[in-house]
Amino acid sequence: MNIAQLFNNFKNTILTKYGSNPAKMLIYTGVLGWFLSSAAQVVAIAVNDKIPKEQKMFLIPQEIGDGAINVVSFFLVTSVIKNFASRLVSSGRLATPKIREFLTNSEINIKTKNGWKVLPGFDFSKFNIKNMTNFDQISDEYNSFKNGVDVIAMTLGSILSCNIITPILRNKYATNRQRKVLAEFNKPEIGGLKYPKGISMDTYQKQVTMKFSKPSASLKI
Amino acid sequence: MASISSIRNFSFLSAYDKFSCKITRVALDAVGSREKLPTISNPKTVKCIDWIGKNLSSAENRLILGASALLSQPFIDASNKDVDAKTRRYSICRTVAKIIAGTLTGFTIRKLCIKSIDAFTKLPSEIKPDMKFKNLRKLLTPTIKFSAEELAQYKNTLGTILALGIMVFTNFLIDAPLTKALTNLFAGKGDAK
Repeated sequence: MNIAQLFNNFKNTILTKYGSNPAKMLIYTGVLGWFLSSAAQVVAIAVNDKIPKEQKMFLIPQEIGDGAINVVSFFLVTSVIKNFASRLVSSGRLATPKIREFLTNSEINIKTKNGWKVLPGFDFSKFNIKNMTNFDQISDEYNSFKNGVDVIAMTLGSILSCNIITPILRNKYATNRQRKVLAEFNKPEIGGLKYPKGISMDTYQKQVTMKFSKPSASLKI
Repeated sequence: MASISSIRNFSFLSAYDKFSCKITRVALDAVGSREKLPTISNPKTVKCIDWIGKNLSSAENRLILGASALLSQPFIDASNKDVDAKTRRYSICRTVAKIIAGTLTGFTIRKLCIKSIDAFTKLPSEIKPDMKFKNLRKLLTPTIKFSAEELAQYKNTLGTILALGIMVFTNFLIDAPLTKALTNLFAGKGDAK
């Protein structure tokens, strides 16, 4: 196979894989984008002289945690939400009036006074509109609608995973890392003080100061 | 031998797809098979959903994520009482700086790359006599049959892949220094107060 053929294969593969599934592409490229961005941010903090060492102990693990949690939550949360929305459309649970008419004509749905209903005993789990023999009649309407629903679900999923779940989890992770590193850093001074759990960094530092500034018993009058 | 061949055949993406489908199935089962089927009957809503599917590329997606990140992440950092006040302030400054830098570069590079790909993915009917680089205009056009919508998504995908390649460098050359400069700017302003 020569280079021209390989190049054509590459183009055609991209077209067949993502031409009809933009949300899938957004998920894969999104994950890769977050990974690359986090790697650069870790370097940015490490080389920033204006950030004190103590803050770097929080910010670097925060960034690593941010990247790792972002990638995992993007894959788990965003993709599951996207697949859920996608399946709602492909199983005929969610549709436009034109798709409903098509499903009614194909004897999958029944039109009633209060809207459309599913036939009694109908098994959604095995049904996919795309597998219907007369799918060509509705393919344009269906593909446009499904792509739109997929992209909306993917965007909402991204907002939930990247902007809500990730910052909460990465802060928890970075706080624990900072405490461990600080405890290790100040080991000779803090000696037997227990690993601080459930207290703020301010309280912890105050406790450390109090422990070592306490007057000894022999000095009591 | 069997285990070696099974490792070779293991694909992360296909395993992940199976996992995700299983979760989806469980979620759909939990929702149950409702007798009455939800139908989006407002033509404007249907049109809007179609438009989003056709026109929302990774660039716009990055912009939406950036805008929503500005509305949520600084507040999440501000409410993190597990760290001291100074660390919390640095964390907020850096989060805001990172969102601004990441969104600006991410959106711009993605948009420019998608535009560049579009310039070299022309159909024969789109090539005009006064166009420059006429021979290269079909360079990225697929050689198999496609619809107009598929071609638009193909351009978005190829543009996004190109953008990711470029962002390997710009993350270090633009994103990271810009984040650093903005963090120092915001943190410095806080210090002055």
